[in-house]
Amino acid sequence: MFCEKAIELVRELHRMGDGQLPAFNEDGIRQVLEEMKALYQQNQSDVNEAKSEGRSELIPTIKFRHCCLCRNQRCIAAYLYDRLLRIRALRWEYGSVLPTAIRFHMCAEEVEWFNQYKKSLATYMRSLGGEEGLDITQDVKPPKSLYIEVRCLKDHGEFEIDDGTVILLKKNSQHFLPRWKCEQLIRQGVLEHVIS
Amino acid sequence: METQSYTPVPPGVGMEENFLSLDDILLSHERLPCRTESAFPRLGFLEKSADTRDIPEGTKMEMPLWLAKGLYERKRRTLSVDPPKTYRQGWRTVLGADPNVVDLHKMGPYFYGMGSQLLHFDSPENAEIAQTVLQTFIGRFRRTMDASQNALDADTSALVAPLDALERALFRAGQAGLAAYQRWEGGASGRIEASGLVVNYRKRKLGELQA
Amino acid sequence: MSDALSEASDLSGDDSQDVMTPTELIAKLEEAWLNEKFSPELLKNKSEIVECVMEQLTHMEENLQRVRKGDVKASIHRMEIDRIRFVLSSYLRSRLQKIEKFFPHVLEKEKSRAEGDPSFLSPEEFAFAKEYMANTETYLKAVALRHMPPNLQTIDMLKAVPEPCLDSFVFLRVKERQENILVEPETDEQREYVVDLEEGSQHLMRYRTIAPLVASGAVQLI
Repeated sequence: MFCEKAIELVRELHRMGDGQLPAFNEDGIRQVLEEMKALYQQNQSDVNEAKSEGRSELIPTIKFRHCCLCRNQRCIAAYLYDRLLRIRALRWEYGSVLPTAIRFHMCAEEVEWFNQYKKSLATYMRSLGGEEGLDITQDVKPPKSLYIEVRCLKDHGEFEIDDGTVILLKKNSQHFLPRWKCEQLIRQGVLEHVIS
Repeated sequence: METQSYTPVPPGVGMEENFLSLDDILLSHERLPCRTESAFPRLGFLEKSADTRDIPEGTKMEMPLWLAKGLYERKRRTLSVDPPKTYRQGWRTVLGADPNVVDLHKMGPYFYGMGSQLLHFDSPENAEIAQTVLQTFIGRFRRTMDASQNALDADTSALVAPLDALERALFRAGQAGLAAYQRWEGGASGRIEASGLVVNYRKRKLGELQA
Repeated sequence: MSDALSEASDLSGDDSQDVMTPTELIAKLEEAWLNEKFSPELLKNKSEIVECVMEQLTHMEENLQRVRKGDVKASIHRMEIDRIRFVLSSYLRSRLQKIEKFFPHVLEKEKSRAEGDPSFLSPEEFAFAKEYMANTETYLKAVALRHMPPNLQTIDMLKAVPEPCLDSFVFLRVKERQENILVEPETDEQREYVVDLEEGSQHLMRYRTIAPLVASGAVQLI
């Protein structure tokens, strides 16, 4: 049957229901596009024949192929759109710089989309209120305390806190830091929020 | 709960399909018993049992829901569709007797979705199919809800196994709610955590190293 | 939250219309926040509130600079600032998330808005929504659509991206008594019926039924 390649693309994403981004399946997309090209050409020649020779019995077949073309288009669009939703979530969970391992799974156009999305978001956030704007990707949980205890999960280097003090984030070291300064590092897995 | 993490396009409600929903695309890939009511010239190669050039009128073949929906027209018949056997009289009687004993995952896994989609095709059984689908859902809902609320940290695979896709989604929502409540009760909801994606990628990296 | 706020006064600024106290302002923000969080569709923007709260935060930050280091008052104020900033960010996040989720519909509504009607989107949100739409369309075109047969090179995003589900159920608290609210039947056996909503009472209802009351502020989503 037609559209088998297209459903494979969809299955591939559906299997990863937790939002992971699998490698962009360029080859899969190409194969679907090729099938579409072939279906379209067959339909064109059948349409011509139906018209010039009055062979209206070809119409069900033409319609059949047209359904397959639409189906392929839908599967590809859904595949691409679902990937965008995953990539969008990355901006909120990782911040604006993505780990190489993830970028490696994105195609050039996706990287372009991501960069544009970052830009739009930054423009929007800058436009909020005063000169600096408001970073709404921070403060994801209601604050319970100003300072929190954190443990360093990997070497991160120097880190400047509010009053200008610089501290060294070394693996396994423990610190008492302003909550809103370290939120993102926690989400990136550099620090761990310790609750005693 | 507010979340900025990945949320897929949800499936459509009732008889609707959402164009971009992966779930709906998989649902519409399910096959239905059909009978061609006109010939389909030059497509014979799709029908494995015959090696004719055309698919002749009156051929019985299984077609995916999306294709059946696309070809189906009330005025100009090219296709008729039969309800699959899990929606016919025999199974309707079983489901009517006790909906809880049936493994809808095996029968589906999109039992409710497919049941609703069948209503797109004219059939004298439509009213009864709709009724059975609705009553089955109502009859099983309580158990699905109870199961999701009473199995924290337990192995839920046996509970989830006989559930259809819609019930599984409800079950997961119930479990997530329960877990969030427990976290709040334990005072841990204020804990800032690494993004689920971060944790997963790290695990995978580890797996790759070990492999 | 009122205490730290009241130190930074005059937030109603230049216009002479109703003067809002900081406490009232924060109450308004929380109201808008909860409504936005729980309603399935994007509500009217509350740019005035957002602007006032932002000013307020700046003010408070400035005041904080003047407080001596190590003063107990300082950390209480910082906590206040953090909490207000959380509510504000969370409110704006919910809106942005809905704009992204429903962008074709949000933009369509904006387009079909009658002249003079207030916009649902703030100018900044409108700009964001337009960019999001353009970015996404460009992307789909570049990766796949332009390689497809001519009749399949466009996708009607309005049809492809689902609309907000107004039939979702929401919890609400009544702020102003309402009479004769028409409730649609849930089953074939039921008929439609009317209810009165008493002030202070709480209900679980279809969002569609009470959407106008959320907009007018007569009920609060919870």
